[in-house]
Amino acid sequence: MAKEGSPLPQVELQEGAPDNNVKLTDIFKGKKGILFGVPGAFTPGCSKTHLPGYVNDYAKLSEAGAQVIVCVSVNDAFVMEAWGKQTGAEAKGIRMLADTHGELAKALGLELDMAKALGMNRMKRFSAVIEDNKIKSLNVEPDGKGTTCSLSNAIMSQLKA
Amino acid sequence: MTAFARCTAGAIAIVPTRRCAALSRRGHSAKFALAGPRVARSAQLRTCSVTAISVGDKVPGDIKFNYFDAEGNMQAVAVDDLTKGKKVVLIGVPGAFTPTCSLKHLPGFLEKADELKSKGVDTIACVAVNDAFVMDAWSKSVGTDDKIMMLADGSADFTKAIGVELDLSDKGLGIRSRRYAMLLEDGAVKELNLEEGGAFTVSSADEILSAL
Repeated sequence: MAKEGSPLPQVELQEGAPDNNVKLTDIFKGKKGILFGVPGAFTPGCSKTHLPGYVNDYAKLSEAGAQVIVCVSVNDAFVMEAWGKQTGAEAKGIRMLADTHGELAKALGLELDMAKALGMNRMKRFSAVIEDNKIKSLNVEPDGKGTTCSLSNAIMSQLKA
Repeated sequence: MTAFARCTAGAIAIVPTRRCAALSRRGHSAKFALAGPRVARSAQLRTCSVTAISVGDKVPGDIKFNYFDAEGNMQAVAVDDLTKGKKVVLIGVPGAFTPTCSLKHLPGFLEKADELKSKGVDTIACVAVNDAFVMDAWSKSVGTDDKIMMLADGSADFTKAIGVELDLSDKGLGIRSRRYAMLLEDGAVKELNLEEGGAFTVSSADEILSAL
């Protein structure tokens, strides 16, 4: 599993459309920001608690030093785009990236077995402060799904540190 | 003389050239890696598909779909319970929130839902290889109300069982369903309008209406 001090994996994710590839390491190059992952777009915990927290705290997080905030999930780019629009995340400026094939989840060692409920393996809920493509801090929910250590309020102090 | 036929799922079958041609005629197609100069000239590069379900076949009754009911609770329904003794229109789409599905295909059926029901259709349902949460959110976004049941074939079990899977991995979507509109009577296929991939030509609501 990735840990504090690990480099950010050099994976390509999709944004807005399935053929629009973006490199995570291009986004965080020379920048300080937050990367957080969710088990599934439109699912309860992700939609009611996790993502809204980052949407509501966007200004505070920016003031605390986050130059970019990225949300990832193992969903396709169309679904991520729709979710970003529906939740107001896109309007706020949160980048909604699709880990369509689960490559980032695998590279970080954060795969979550949700095949029975959702049809394919997903990503454990987590949040991380990334600084110039290095994982500065990493908060992974113990069961992969809960909404505790990975929430926006918890990461505030890690940004300032 | 043989050719190597690679199907979209990655399996390779070595088939006699004549069989390749026969397979092509019957609606299969294969990506041929030319095994030698004497391999059939007629070999065209197309994506391979397994035999899709056809008119007269019964849909696999024990496969289950997840969906969200009107009260917002996740339910599971077996194909049997959905189709037994009923007239059902089943719409297959490559993906929730994708352009053609969202702008043309599903809205077309929504528009004709009342007309379909007046012609004896008991249930209109839409199937995609997406999870139930995504299907539910999509249905709210398109505004299907309770006119169309939105069924999640999350692991593509049903889609694969009826042979209509579509490999959109290159397009960043993974294994999905081909676009189709199907009329079922007591679980048997009465009419099947199946697109090659995600095209939108024969699978509209109007086509199904004319079959009723």
